Amino acid sequence: MFSISQDFAPPFKLISPFFILGSLFYLLASVYLFFFSADNLYILDTKVLSFVHLYLLGFVMMTIFGAMAQLVPVVLEVGHAAVELFYAIWPLLGIGTILMVVGFIGYPALLPYGGTVVLISLMIFVMEIFATMKNVKKLNLVMSSVLISNTFLFFGIIFGLVMALGYAGTIEVDIISLLRSHVYLVIGGYVIITLMGLSVVLLPMFGLSHGFSMKPLEVAIALMSTSVVLVVLSSFVEYAAIKYLAYSLAVASLLLYFYMVYTIFKTRARKDLDIYAISLIYSYFSMIISLVLGVAYLLVSYEPLLLASGWLIFFGFFGFAITGHVYKIVPFLVWFERFSPLVGKEKVPMLADMVPAKSSHAQFVFSGVGVAIITVAILAQNDTLIKAGASFLVVGALALVRNMFYMINYK
Amino acid sequence: MYSKEELFLAISTVIDPEVGFNLVEMGLIYDAECDDEGNAHVTMTLSTKACPMHQMIQQWVKESVEKMANIKEVVVDVVWEPVWNITMAEDNVKKALGGA
Repeated sequence: MFSISQDFAPPFKLISPFFILGSLFYLLASVYLFFFSADNLYILDTKVLSFVHLYLLGFVMMTIFGAMAQLVPVVLEVGHAAVELFYAIWPLLGIGTILMVVGFIGYPALLPYGGTVVLISLMIFVMEIFATMKNVKKLNLVMSSVLISNTFLFFGIIFGLVMALGYAGTIEVDIISLLRSHVYLVIGGYVIITLMGLSVVLLPMFGLSHGFSMKPLEVAIALMSTSVVLVVLSSFVEYAAIKYLAYSLAVASLLLYFYMVYTIFKTRARKDLDIYAISLIYSYFSMIISLVLGVAYLLVSYEPLLLASGWLIFFGFFGFAITGHVYKIVPFLVWFERFSPLVGKEKVPMLADMVPAKSSHAQFVFSGVGVAIITVAILAQNDTLIKAGASFLVVGALALVRNMFYMINYK
Repeated sequence: MYSKEELFLAISTVIDPEVGFNLVEMGLIYDAECDDEGNAHVTMTLSTKACPMHQMIQQWVKESVEKMANIKEVVVDVVWEPVWNITMAEDNVKKALGGA
């Protein structure tokens, strides 16, 4: 006799704050776009830095951490070492994010405090993952990706804290050279490698795909990891060839990853294009367009190209990959908590019933149009288009928040 | 005590909440047998190794057989060979998923 284990689905009350806060931060980040104008659209503008941290920490990291609380045991095939620690992660990450966002806007003295609180929250997360990984007997490719990505996150946080101290004037550091490493470690090293690893588990699971090779992913992760290490190296060694080699490897990695996703998509048994599938399609095409814009920037050094590329990676690739998965993960967690005990006793809903069809598609359309308009707005440096795109995104974000509460409260 | 068909019929009450089909029509139940003493043995697979409902689905299959009269013990083995693919599903599933 075996019992149903909670190992693969931690209590929903532990995970739900991550998703609720994540969607609220997504809404805040969308509203924040109204405060941008063509004049302050450059990488190191403090409004841009503030916005990036609001979105990346508040939405991307918050939601990924919530998802990881549930997915890590599934992927690693062992229970969490100390899942209760997740109760401490979301409040610290939320508070730290707000302090950093306000700090960048005009109160730099808050940055070390915000940075430290974020550091503590991320360190708790990373250490919990490392402790969980100690119980893994044999690493497979996906497990290795979790280990690699969390190692990069660890170093990314250290670089970030040093920079926060530099911004606040506490220590003297070359922020520009550290910035590149920080960005690459967190975005390339953590977020992208995490998405790569998890997506080859989740895409075939939801699409019922079989018969594809994992080799492209293996190479893609190796290339991205090498790229991140080279970028960090280039922060300390002034040798342009290292930097350009690193960028080339990152582009090659993402193209290989896209090819892998394409083969999974081609071999899927489920052909219906539900909200999950269309969100993922938008996400991956955003990634490809972002790559094209990024390569164009390397060739012509026109900063709006880099900003548009970054925008598409953030709101297009990360944004839609995450919201797409939210429509699968949240219903599962609610279903597990609320309906699985009723199986065999009374009629229970299917997972798809728990996703609001019209509202989720409205979220997709408004957010998708908003992302596209703002991409054009950044390239054309047009204020009116920024506001127009922001309007669409805010409506999309409101729909996301509404959908989140709908799924969480489904009875 | 029970034929394979009777056991499959009992297990067909178990529905995968993600795809909305029962496990038998999905082709996930490979074999089922029951001796005269009421000891049943089910061999099944899942559509993916990383299924978060792994233990739950296994439990539901066990409970669906245990509900049959005079069943004493049920053992459910999850195997990964042969690897499941959509061709193992019944035609109605393939058609509904769009793969037929």
